[in-house]
Amino acid sequence: MKLRLLMSLICIPVFAHHGSTAYDTSKAVVLKGATVTKYVWANPHVIITLDVKDDKGNVQHWSAEAGTPQTVTLSGWSKTSVQLGDVVTVYIFQSKTGNLVGRLNKIVLADGTELRDSALGYREAEGDGKQ
Amino acid sequence: MKTRNALAALLALSLVATAQQRRPQTLYQKLEAAHDPGGPAPKRDLTGSWTGPLTPKYVDAPPLTPLGQKLFKANIPDPFSASSNDPWSVCDPLGFPRSDTTETRGMVFAPMPGRMIIMTQYQKIWRSVWMDGRELPKNVGAKGGPDSAWYGYSVGRWDGDYTLVVNTVGLDDRTWIDRRGYPHSVDLRVEERYTRVDHNTLDLTLTIDDPKIYTKPFVLAKNRFYWIPNQEDEEQLCVPSEAIEYKKLIVEPAGQDEAKGKK
Repeated sequence: MKLRLLMSLICIPVFAHHGSTAYDTSKAVVLKGATVTKYVWANPHVIITLDVKDDKGNVQHWSAEAGTPQTVTLSGWSKTSVQLGDVVTVYIFQSKTGNLVGRLNKIVLADGTELRDSALGYREAEGDGKQ
Repeated sequence: MKTRNALAALLALSLVATAQQRRPQTLYQKLEAAHDPGGPAPKRDLTGSWTGPLTPKYVDAPPLTPLGQKLFKANIPDPFSASSNDPWSVCDPLGFPRSDTTETRGMVFAPMPGRMIIMTQYQKIWRSVWMDGRELPKNVGAKGGPDSAWYGYSVGRWDGDYTLVVNTVGLDDRTWIDRRGYPHSVDLRVEERYTRVDHNTLDLTLTIDDPKIYTKPFVLAKNRFYWIPNQEDEEQLCVPSEAIEYKKLIVEPAGQDEAKGKK
């Protein structure tokens, strides 16, 4: 498992619930082979935490938020969509602080199913995140 | 070159538009777009489940009194900020009229003998609005008077066949009236006017009067609700442990306050 940072051009989005100023929404970080360590189906926002190895084999711990349970449900999510231990690919708009935290763009499950964020999952151009 | 740039811009815009069209609509947005009146409004009947937007349309507040200015200055909005002192950020009771101005996605009217129960989906709140002709209590919060309450004391009456008027007093002054951080005193008086425009449409006008805090009465917010076709409600709760975890895992490491210039 390798952490690969893939930068892509994505149109500037607007959050429905609260501000996006903390996140760098000009490009997405892509975490491939990330293992889900927590999936919190909660208000105000759904949270997912992930472990992923960097190029040196060190495990990094990431946290990401999505929309409210009510709004991501409209995008096909549910309380059981993601399970602990799932290995997924995650697209994240990282915090400008450089900390390993961000706003989700989308999660790609092992079977290819895409779970898109209610706020930022629908603002991207087709083909984003591909090298 | 100009033509090429223009085409590129057009392509980008079209991609955005296409992407935006894919975004699912909320039930409220669907009902708003459908704009189906569903027939005439029944007389003196609001019974059932209604859905509203996340937040109503706020109206600018009038000038505040010196006390109002002092209290307003002390309130730091944004419940998703680590530095906010919004009571909502730790899931304290929204209180009234905050429950009419925040997370207004669901509302239920349930008549009972002598009163109307108004329930709000967020936090599963209910209020008793007495319709039996009683008067509102006096001197709430004063020595010898009844205690103030998060949701106060309410009475209601019909103004014509399609408008329910609810008056409320005795409101606990620890609450804010909206997410902007506007304060109130225990002397606050609130009027809600619910007008059933047709079978599927319900309008709310919220007016407040609090001479200790505001220099004149004013319309705080206007909202519109639509009849929920299958009458099913959602569960929507602010859970303290989840709010704490959200701040710890997301808000603080993401530097949301720094990004907004709050520190």
